Amino acid sequence: MNIDFFAVKVIRMTKDKLSYKLTKILKSVLAAVAVPVFIIYIMIAKPDYTIMNSLAHIVLPVAHFVGSVITWPIRVIGQGAAWIRETSKIRLENKELRVKLDEALSNQHTCKIAIEENQKLEKEIDIKHASPFKTVIADIQFDDSVFHHNTFLINRGRKSGLERGMVVVSFDNRLVGTIIDCGSEFCRVRSLIDANTNIAVRITGSDISGFLQGNGKNKSFINFFSDPQFVGRSGLSVVTSNISGILPSGIYIGDMKDEKQVDVLRPNQLSRVMVLKYNNSDSYK
Amino acid sequence: MNKVVHFLRKSWPFLITLILWRLSVSFWNPAGILALTTVFFYSFVKPIDWFPLFSLIICFLIDYRCNLPLFWTIMYCLFYTINGFQNYIDATHVSKDGLYLFMTFIGFGFFILMFSGSSWGVVLNNLWLFIWLSVLYIPIIALDKRISK
Repeated sequence: MNIDFFAVKVIRMTKDKLSYKLTKILKSVLAAVAVPVFIIYIMIAKPDYTIMNSLAHIVLPVAHFVGSVITWPIRVIGQGAAWIRETSKIRLENKELRVKLDEALSNQHTCKIAIEENQKLEKEIDIKHASPFKTVIADIQFDDSVFHHNTFLINRGRKSGLERGMVVVSFDNRLVGTIIDCGSEFCRVRSLIDANTNIAVRITGSDISGFLQGNGKNKSFINFFSDPQFVGRSGLSVVTSNISGILPSGIYIGDMKDEKQVDVLRPNQLSRVMVLKYNNSDSYK
Repeated sequence: MNKVVHFLRKSWPFLITLILWRLSVSFWNPAGILALTTVFFYSFVKPIDWFPLFSLIICFLIDYRCNLPLFWTIMYCLFYTINGFQNYIDATHVSKDGLYLFMTFIGFGFFILMFSGSSWGVVLNNLWLFIWLSVLYIPIIALDKRISK
């Protein structure tokens, strides 16, 4: 039977023909010979297998190239499937990463707050160390934040060595008030805007003194100037005076806004203060 | 068109073998070892002219990729010799398209390979490949029958 295969006329052998049987035996003999040849080669060429490797350097690229040409549609489909799988995986990862990013941003905000708080604390500690007085740092507690803060509480008390009459200042050494009551772990401070505030003050750059009084409505005024002819004006600075012996002298209070009103610090402008350990004998502890 | 179809039908054993070898994937088709199914089938069960020579090349390529110096090549030659010299079993007429013979062929090979490593991992890996090749032999041969028609 003749067939046209690869444009070559081939005469196919049938199993009954002797030539077929002989060919089969011949092929088997060749295969049988190949077995010991290969085994001997392995034993001799071990471990380099130079001939085998050299042969593979030719056969493998050719087979690989032909295989690649044949299988490209399958590999394209496979790569497409892999791409879809990868995309799906990336989407899932993206979701997870977004959650992690949100957490990280949240942590970043926390860190930022912590850093800023740290910087503030460092600044406060520096100020505390730079202060010539023995000081205690205290937080202002606004449990009554809905009301006017004519008086306020701080979170330090007798346990911290605080006593009634001690002076409370801000971190820029500006008078805030005086302690009027002292518990073991807290103190009540009277602010400068309290109606009962009545402290001796002095106009800087002069010997004119007077008394600072609050009106209970977020304002403070100076009354009873030592010089009746004196008329206050905007921009004059006011500091404490030791006339009454209640406060140490020279603590900055604020600037005058008009003839009598002084721009003082109000408690709601602060969150933390320093308490100067001062007693009524005009000496610092 | 008919010539193309005819050519594809005739070249199908070579193509599928090359495809199986080329589409090698770790675990599922390491070093293209699935090509042994068609190598066996078209060499012994449904012999095709010039295919044994092609099978030798494929076995050599599998061996090269597996870093098994001429192992499957020798196994193939050995099986070819045994098959050629005996008249007791006619591989072209065995039942189930020579599945059991194929299992014997690869089973013997994997059995020897089990001794190449002392770990349980090697044993399990060889066992897995034996089962996987045996299972896939059936659909691959079924595909050949479908294309031959």
